Amino acid sequence: MYSFTKPIKKPYFKEDTKLWLVFIFISTFLYVTFSLFLLIKAYFYSKNTNDLAKEEITLKEKIIKLQKEKENILLQKELYENITVKNSVIKDSVKNLLNLVPDPITLNKFLFSKNKLIIYGITPTKDVYNLLMLPPLESIFQSTKTEFIQLSNGWFKFKSINTLKSENENTFN
Amino acid sequence: MKIPSIKFKLPKIKIYGIDVVKNSLFFTFSLILTLIIIAFVIAPSIKTFKYAKAQYFSTQQEFEKVDNEYKKIFNAINTLKNKNQKILNALKRKFDKKNFILFAKNYMKIENIKELNSSTYKEKFIKTPYLITAIIKSPKNFYDFVDNIKNYKNIIRVYFPIDFEKENEEINLTFKIECYNIKGKK
Repeated sequence: MYSFTKPIKKPYFKEDTKLWLVFIFISTFLYVTFSLFLLIKAYFYSKNTNDLAKEEITLKEKIIKLQKEKENILLQKELYENITVKNSVIKDSVKNLLNLVPDPITLNKFLFSKNKLIIYGITPTKDVYNLLMLPPLESIFQSTKTEFIQLSNGWFKFKSINTLKSENENTFN
Repeated sequence: MKIPSIKFKLPKIKIYGIDVVKNSLFFTFSLILTLIIIAFVIAPSIKTFKYAKAQYFSTQQEFEKVDNEYKKIFNAINTLKNKNQKILNALKRKFDKKNFILFAKNYMKIENIKELNSSTYKEKFIKTPYLITAIIKSPKNFYDFVDNIKNYKNIIRVYFPIDFEKENEEINLTFKIECYNIKGKK
């Protein structure tokens, strides 16, 4: 038999079936792509979260270091201020001691230690010393011992040893 | 026993040449597929994404709080350092006898400086005592010296013993100073 028309291959899918398949494929692809996009975003979010958490830990460590440094600076400042006050107290102690000395009495030497004050000087009479010099010394120190040696001109050379109550009650420290 | 063969063929209903039954089935299939994908793929992804996002913003908020605190402390320390630079430098500086004699020249003539044994002070500092013998003209020189020692480039404490001995018109002075340094940075 001879036919004037050539045979046409029968398509696997009809036009509308193809359309449906393409639609289903594209929509599935879009859904999966959207999901992947979300997962990738989530991955970057969690990566950034981890980075931030690490940075936060580093910052917290730095804060602890800074706080220690601050304490250190404050300690140094406190030391300086204490020393300045103590220097001032020492100066005032010496100044007050010298101001205690009345005019007729002359000091030759004094040894100022932590708990003790030894004064060497000359007084015209024992009474002048006992009236003008001794009372203020007795008000500061717990024990006061004085030795007199008479000089050829009638004046007295004296040595006064003054001791504080105890180290804890040391007013000059 | 012969299994009965089931022959099923979709009925063909065509409206204007469109196969209504086939298209309805495809529509239903695509709808079900969409629902399944939403339920098992998209919904968990959204949940993961939302959780990660929430975590990120909460961490970021916390981080910003810590960062602000850090900046605050950092600035406070810088201000504190700048204010106390002189003290901080003084505690790091080594005691120089020649320089000290030069400083004290305005108040006294130092004849000798003897270094004594150093000791630790309050764990963080080193205290080095020096015994000084000097000559002053009047006690006022000593007072002025003590007043101005706070301006010296080291942290110095004037300490006992303090001995004054009059000799002619001058006074022989013996006293102790303590120089303080920060431990390990002397």
